[in-house]
Formats: sequence, structure tokens, C-alpha cells
Amino acid sequence: MEASQLQRPKAKLSKQAWVAYALIAAPFLLMVLLIVYPASLSIVRTLRPEVEGVRRFGLENYQAFFSDHTSVTNLIFTLWSTGAIIGLLFAICLPIALYLRFTDSWIAHWVQGLALFPLFVPGIILAYALIRFIGPNGLLETFIEVTTGWQGYRTPYLKPAGSIIGLVWEGIPITVLILTAGLAQVPDNLIEAARDVGAGRLQIFFRIILPLIGRSLLIAFALNFLGVIGAFTLPYLLGPAAPQMMGPFMQRTFYNVLNPDAAETQAVITFLLSSIVGFLYVRSAVRQQKEET
Amino acid sequence: MASLTFNHLNKQFGSVKAVDNLNFEVKNGEFICLLGPSGCGKSTALRMIAGFEEPSSGDILMDGKSIIALPPNKRPTAMVFQKYTLWPHMTVYKNIAFGLQLRGLEKKVVEDKVHSALDLVGLKGYEKRLPAQLSGGQQQRVAIARALVLEPQILLLDEPFSSLDAHLRVRLREELKSIQRSLGITTIFVTHDQEEALSLADRIAVMSSGQVEQYDSPDIIYAKPSSLFVAGFIGSMTLLEAENKGSELKLGNYTLPSSEIVKGKDVKVALRPEDILLADANGWAAKVSQVMNLGPFYSLVLAIEGLGSVKALFPKTSLLKEHDQINVLPNRYLIYHEDGVEEITL
Repeated sequence: MEASQLQRPKAKLSKQAWVAYALIAAPFLLMVLLIVYPASLSIVRTLRPEVEGVRRFGLENYQAFFSDHTSVTNLIFTLWSTGAIIGLLFAICLPIALYLRFTDSWIAHWVQGLALFPLFVPGIILAYALIRFIGPNGLLETFIEVTTGWQGYRTPYLKPAGSIIGLVWEGIPITVLILTAGLAQVPDNLIEAARDVGAGRLQIFFRIILPLIGRSLLIAFALNFLGVIGAFTLPYLLGPAAPQMMGPFMQRTFYNVLNPDAAETQAVITFLLSSIVGFLYVRSAVRQQKEET
Repeated sequence: MASLTFNHLNKQFGSVKAVDNLNFEVKNGEFICLLGPSGCGKSTALRMIAGFEEPSSGDILMDGKSIIALPPNKRPTAMVFQKYTLWPHMTVYKNIAFGLQLRGLEKKVVEDKVHSALDLVGLKGYEKRLPAQLSGGQQQRVAIARALVLEPQILLLDEPFSSLDAHLRVRLREELKSIQRSLGITTIFVTHDQEEALSLADRIAVMSSGQVEQYDSPDIIYAKPSSLFVAGFIGSMTLLEAENKGSELKLGNYTLPSSEIVKGKDVKVALRPEDILLADANGWAAKVSQVMNLGPFYSLVLAIEGLGSVKALFPKTSLLKEHDQINVLPNRYLIYHEDGVEEITL
């Protein structure tokens, strides 16, 4: 083969590479300008607190956050709520996804439609609908009183349960979608092979299905974690005034307390927590891509 | 080891009859092949034995006892699937040990059984590998080991070698037969590959449209297929239209001896390629229109005036080539008539 022939594929590849770079240039620049640059500025600012009118590098902002009882309580409350919401989401969505995967009936199609319905309802509408439903003198309370005569109903509205209910409702569609997609990747043969060697339903679920959908579980966990830990609308409208989740807490610190440095520190701490989960998610996605290629 | 009986077994999917009145028996220790084209119901029949499909009616008896009420995990059968059925997150050892662990066997017993199963399929030392680190042939060997380690009474195989290359398929086929013979395990093997069925089975059930067309030994099925379908499906066969004239058959310009048993005017004559022999000038005048080299043999297509194309198999020593003019005659043929099939040997 001649040298010119050998070089041709390399030139082609390079041209293709340039086209690829050109295609990703716009979103990449937008991401740098609108996310990476301001986020980096914020991180740097939190590390340069103003002490006696002078800005210098130091950890005072973080010391202030972790020594403030309200801030720490809010952080713990946010993590606790996030854990509870993700736990509830898996408890609700995994059975739904399993049902959808292994059943083919008109009921399954209805269940799928219902599970995906919240995807099309904006958060703010959902919040007000829930207030009217579970709030004081709402439909649920009225229904209980009218049908049973019981007057002990205690509304979850403006309590931790309020934001948890809202965020669980909001998280159901994406969780069901991810888990259903994951379960669809589990071939029937593998389940039949397990039944064939003597495995019962629980053994198939724990020994075969769960390990095989591990990546989907991680993706569902990561996306819900990232969505819930930074949630604002639903915790703001349905959750308690204290303790608060980090979203409303940042807003209050910024607008009401008028302390942008503290709000920025809260944001960075929330971002760092999110980035741990984000890292796991990205690592999983890259691994999958590698395995597929 | 157990015997198995299909008792008027039916399976219907909507309006489609996948299995239609299956009625036959598998003896203890026998190697049976369910052979047929895609969609003939062979895999459905196998899946009903394993418990993955529920019969619409009829019964499956194992040693005389019905098993259809038992779920798959309670049946004394083990199945090897077509492909990709090793659990990808488990090592080879765990894949094989899983069924034993479910039975609550002691760790040492599990270890010993897994190692001897791997030894049996020639994969000693592969315990720690994941399925993705094995070739297709090795994966199917592990699947066979996983099934055999449970010491099932009946081993079921659903086209286990169909995704492997031809060379490997033949090798694994030989290994499977040797394992089956040494263990004496009753085996039911589903395949659409007639060569596979002929080389493996003690008896073959040739299936078409959910029914068994013929259930016989490979020799009988090859030599005397009971229907035109079986004749066309097993081996290579030339089918010629003929007119029955009592003591002889008229085929174009030629005649062949017939039998009194042959009924009806229009019949079909079936010729195996190896039954076509070179003849003197009284034979059928044929022109060699195609020669295919099959190693020790030539597979020929002969153009015979008034009859059309006839397949023949000659040793290479015949030195035949395309466009040669020769004379041939069959020394054995089958006549398919109204009442069945008649074999004529000259």
C-alpha cells in the first residue's frame, strides 16, 4: 500500500473530529459561561470571606455554617428528607416497575399511564393541588370527617411530611421510567434459567434482578438525589418553616436575611454533596459506554 | 433418570395451535430430538416440560405421574437455553453453584459438585471468570454444567448450539452425546438442524404445525420418511411426479417398478441422492448440470429429460464434471401414494 493511501483515513478522521467539536462547541461554551464560570466564582468567593472589611482566603464562611445550629439542622433535615424521599420512591416505584415489566394487560397500561402522569404536571400546580387536597379543611380532611365523623385529622401541610409527599409524587414518573427501562434489559431467559434451577420469586428478585438493574438503581438514586437536595418550589410551598430544606433556606438567607455570602456557602455545600452523587452517576455512565463499545 | 409421556398435549396461543395433540413416550435414559422448522411447536413442547408454559389441555407424565401442576422450580428437570442465559453478574462458579445453594447443600458439597461438573464439561480452572470473559462455546458448556450439576431426571436443551459456529457445534455435539451416554440421563433436545438430530438422537420426533409427523429412530426416519414433509425436511431428497400404472410407474419417458400396495393414479417418487447409481445405456440419460465438491464426494445435479433435476452423490473416483453425459438409475426409492409410503429396492 502506498503512503498516500495510508494517510487518507487519518485526514478523514481529523475532519470528522472537527465537525464533532463544532457541533458541541455551542452547548459547551454555554455551559462554561452560564454554569462553570459563575459556579467557580461562587466557590472562590466562599473561600475569600470578608474579615474586618478585607477579603482574604480562609474557611470562616464554612466554620460559620457548621457552627450555626440552624444551618446544620437544615442540612441534616435536607439529607434526612432526601433519604426518606428516595427510600419511599424505591418502595413505591420498584413494585410498579416490576408489575409493568412482567405483566401485559390493559390494567398494566393504565398503571403506566397513572405512574407517568405527574411528569406532565408542573411543580407549582402540583403544590397547590396538594394544599387543597391534604391541607387544613382540604378534600381529604372533609372526606374523612363526612364519611367517618372522625375529627382528629392532622394535616401534613407545612410539616416535613408535606414536602416529602410532594417530592415523592414529583419523583415517581422518572423513577418508574428508569426502573422500567432497566428491567426491560433483563432478558426473560435469565429469569427462566433461575426458576429452572429452583429459585423462587424472592430469590430471583434479590439474586438475579436486583444485581442486574444495579446501574438503573444508581441512576434513579442519583437523579432523585440531585433533584430533591436542591428542590425549592415544593419544600417552599408545602414544607415547614423550620427546619427547612436547603433550597428554601438559601432563598431565605439571600433575600430575607440579606446575607449573600452565607447563602453562597450553603449553595456550595449543597453542590459538593450533589457532586459526590453526580460523580457516581457519571462514572457509571462512562463505564456503561465503555462496556457497550 | 425418568421416562416421560406426552398425553394428548395441546397448547394454544390465541387462535394459533402451537402444539396439537402431542402423544408420544420417551424411555428412561433415551436421547430424543424434537426436530422441525421454526414455529413448529418444538420449543413450546419443551417449555411445557420445563414448566414455563402451561398446557391448554392434556398431560405430561414423568414416570407415570403428572407434573403439569408443578412450578418450574419444583420440577425434576433442568434446561439449557438457546443463548446468553448465564447470569452475567455471577462468576462461572457462582452460576453453577446457585441451584445447589438454593437446595441448602453444605459449602463443601457444593464445591465438590461444581468442580466435578466443570471437569465434566472440560472447564476446570475457569471458576472465577465472568460469562463475558468466555467464548460462546465455553458459555454453553457452563450452561450444560449448571444443568447437570443439579442431577435432573430429565435434561432439556433448547437449540443450545444454534448460535455457535459449525466447527464448535460439531465438537460440542460430540461432547454432549458422550456426557449423556456416561450419565444415562433422559435427554430431550430441540433443534431445527437435521444433521444435529440424526447424529445425536436415539429417536427423533419430526414436528410440523404443532404435530409429530414421525417418531422413529434416525435410521428409519432417514430411510423411510413417513410423509412428504419428513422426506423434504430430513436429508436431501428429489421428489418426482409419477403415474401409477399398477405394476409400474411412469415417470416422463421412463418407467420404474411399482407395487400392488401403491394406491391412486398420481403418486410421488422420492429419491435419495446416494441411491442414484451409474447405469448402462438402458438407464436414464442425464446431463451433469452442476458439481459441488463435498470432500470425499461430489454432489451432482443431473438434468434428465422429461423428469427435471435429480440430485445424486458420487464418489470422487467417478471423475464426473459439468456437461458430462451419463446414464443413471435408482437402486432404491420411495413411493408416496394415497395410503402412505412404499419402499422399493431394485
